[in-house]
Amino acid sequence: MMYLRLPAHFLLSLLLFTSSVSPLFAAEAPSYESSQLAIGFKSRTPEQIAAFYEARGFNKPMIDKLKQQCFITTWIHNKSSHVIWLDLSQWQFSNTTGVIERHHRQYWETVWDEMQIPLAHQATFRWTLLPEALDFQPDEREGGNIILPRDDRPIQIQATFPTLADKTGTPITIKFSPLRCAKDS
Amino acid sequence: MRRARQLLLVLFCLPLTGPAMGLGQTAWPKGLLALPAYPAPTTVLEDIEGELFRLDDQKGAWVFVHFWASWCGPCIREMPAIQKMARILQPEGLKIALINTAENEDTVFSFLSVHAPELRPLMDYDGQVTEKWQPRGLPATYLVDPRGQVRFQALGGREWDTPPYLSFLRQLMTTQ
Repeated sequence: MMYLRLPAHFLLSLLLFTSSVSPLFAAEAPSYESSQLAIGFKSRTPEQIAAFYEARGFNKPMIDKLKQQCFITTWIHNKSSHVIWLDLSQWQFSNTTGVIERHHRQYWETVWDEMQIPLAHQATFRWTLLPEALDFQPDEREGGNIILPRDDRPIQIQATFPTLADKTGTPITIKFSPLRCAKDS
Repeated sequence: MRRARQLLLVLFCLPLTGPAMGLGQTAWPKGLLALPAYPAPTTVLEDIEGELFRLDDQKGAWVFVHFWASWCGPCIREMPAIQKMARILQPEGLKIALINTAENEDTVFSFLSVHAPELRPLMDYDGQVTEKWQPRGLPATYLVDPRGQVRFQALGGREWDTPPYLSFLRQLMTTQ
């Protein structure tokens, strides 16, 4: 209830970047849960993305660039008693035309440098992304955005998670479909 | 004979865990990772009033180093617990470095005035100090020992004002 007194952009921030899957999104957000792992996705509209980054003071060229993308907010919870690896290089995004190339951190670093974006905004942007790789410890939860080129076609995601600290455990592979890039209403 | 060998093995291994830190056999509270000790990254920042803070100057005491941002949901939930913990443990000698990542004074002031008005934030204006620590995500907390070595990392937000965490921090503060 305390959040009701906060500005609208603050509320949106909470909705966007809370680390647990909100029941608000449960009905329309693909998710998976087993005894080892929970994972959820939620596609964001250009308006939601613009509102969040505008509230952080990002300039118009940066916002315009971000609004052209497909943001998928992702939550991961390691429910097991061992290490589970997030390694985005082992995730595949595809649609009816084939594999979709994800815009990774290095891509954005180049883009922002070319646009001479202030370091503070680059840092904030990076912290809103899902890590490229992370050894999820037991009970650890992390979240962040995956960014794909915007496209109207349904997206399939195949995510493979190596297991155990040395990645020698049986990998967990999960397929999600379909997910669509959210549009403004 | 076999049991005796097992007992000897256990006794031999004990100093590699808790007692190596002088922490007895207390288990860490949930969500804390003991790290192989390494020197804390150089951290020199101004606080929100422009006063300089050097992590090196805190040697001799345990330091609770916390990274946060106003837009991060778990940070919002955790901050009041940090304030309550600070109210209890700062007078007992715990140092606290509350580092905001890449936001400006207006944002930080507005946030803390609601969630933790007693805390003095340090300003990592361009986010580059945070990068040096390489947190797993935000929020992130590290515990730095009196020699300036990083010894523990917390996973996500924690209930720092609850007995398990307060006891653990107190126990740390009795060790060097």
